[in-house]
Amino acid sequence: MAEFSKQLERLEAIVRRLESEDLDLDEALKLFEEGVERLRAAREQLSQAELKVKKVLEIESPS
Amino acid sequence: MGARLDLFSAASTEGAWTVGEVTKRARAVIEAGLPPLWVRGEIAGFKAWRSGHWYFSLRDKSAQIRCVMFAKQNFMLPAPTDGMQVFVFARPSMYEEKGEFQLTVMELLSTDQGGLWKLAFEKAKAALTKDGLLDPARRRRLPPFPRRIAVVTSPDGAALRDLQAVIGRRWPIAELIVVPAQVQGAKAEASVCSALNRIARLPVDVLIVARGGGSVEDLWAFNSERVARAVAAMPMPVISAIGHETDVTLCDLVADLRAPTPSAAAEAATPDRVEVLAQCGIVGQRLARALRIASRHVVERLDRTGDRLVRCMESRLEKSGALLTAHSARLDALSPLRVLGRGYAVARDKNGQILKRVAQLPSGKEFRLRVTDGEVNGRVQ
Repeated sequence: MAEFSKQLERLEAIVRRLESEDLDLDEALKLFEEGVERLRAAREQLSQAELKVKKVLEIESPS
Repeated sequence: MGARLDLFSAASTEGAWTVGEVTKRARAVIEAGLPPLWVRGEIAGFKAWRSGHWYFSLRDKSAQIRCVMFAKQNFMLPAPTDGMQVFVFARPSMYEEKGEFQLTVMELLSTDQGGLWKLAFEKAKAALTKDGLLDPARRRRLPPFPRRIAVVTSPDGAALRDLQAVIGRRWPIAELIVVPAQVQGAKAEASVCSALNRIARLPVDVLIVARGGGSVEDLWAFNSERVARAVAAMPMPVISAIGHETDVTLCDLVADLRAPTPSAAAEAATPDRVEVLAQCGIVGQRLARALRIASRHVVERLDRTGDRLVRCMESRLEKSGALLTAHSARLDALSPLRVLGRGYAVARDKNGQILKRVAQLPSGKEFRLRVTDGEVNGRVQ
């Protein structure tokens, strides 16, 4: 799963590009579809309910 | 068990005591006659041994006493310096091997404002300041959407429970990496430092160092210069939540953010997912609107092109129509029917051949005559 902050950054870039540039319909549609997909993934991540807790002593092997 | 004090035998050489007997006896007398007591004096000749034991003298204008303070008594204390006025709570005794009267110190307090703690704190703070570690410009911004949050704290304290509850509610997307450490007692300093070292090697976005409230002694590890320097050297931003709001530790001072409680630290470290979801909604709206605008441009262009196409066709059609009318007028003028209309007639033989000359019309020749409204048959006379 992509890192959440990266996901949001990309979304922001997509929206800005869509808002500002004179794109042809094909490109605009492609951007829109990517934006919708990323938004869906972000929402899915946000609805995750359980915090994962790790104790370092358990995950670290003695070196 | 000292030798019985016999004044008669002690008065002659036959009854002489050994050195060991005297010191042993002296120790018993001293320990029986002088209970543990508070003594006030000035520190002189202070020396901390590698074993952790401290040796020094307490003196005033007229006398001095040797003192020892063992490691198990002094481990949490900042070391005093020569010339410092102190109170000690000590057991008077005899160090038999050297025949020295000494105090075994159990507690040591500075008479200066705030005591030894305050002095040690100010000294370490000055050292950290000198190295620029307390410069506010050093403070880093916390990541807005942390993926991994590490926590150094006691594995079974309320602090960890609070942190876990708040992060679990606000930002469960994160992974919480708990590095248990001893946060009080003799091993706390080393334990916290080794936990910090371990985390420094892990891919962690933000670190929380937490400990519930306690006395100055309980928070000792977080006032150690060594721990403070380790915190300052962490590669990721650090939130410090040590003790209660009123106790500021060195660890708090070097951290990128100081939180009054572990729960507050967890809130500072995480966004609230409810708010982020609302943000996502706004992004979605912007996305839809942007697409609408982008497609409107395209549709408008398409419309404009269509209009031009239609206009173009229309004007061509118009031109063609005018031409057609002109042509049909000319055609009309040329039509033989118009000529017949004016009273002329056309004679043709039975093969349809037009009979224009006299020679074509001998007597008795049959022909057909076309007039404006039909044909009739005729014969030349």
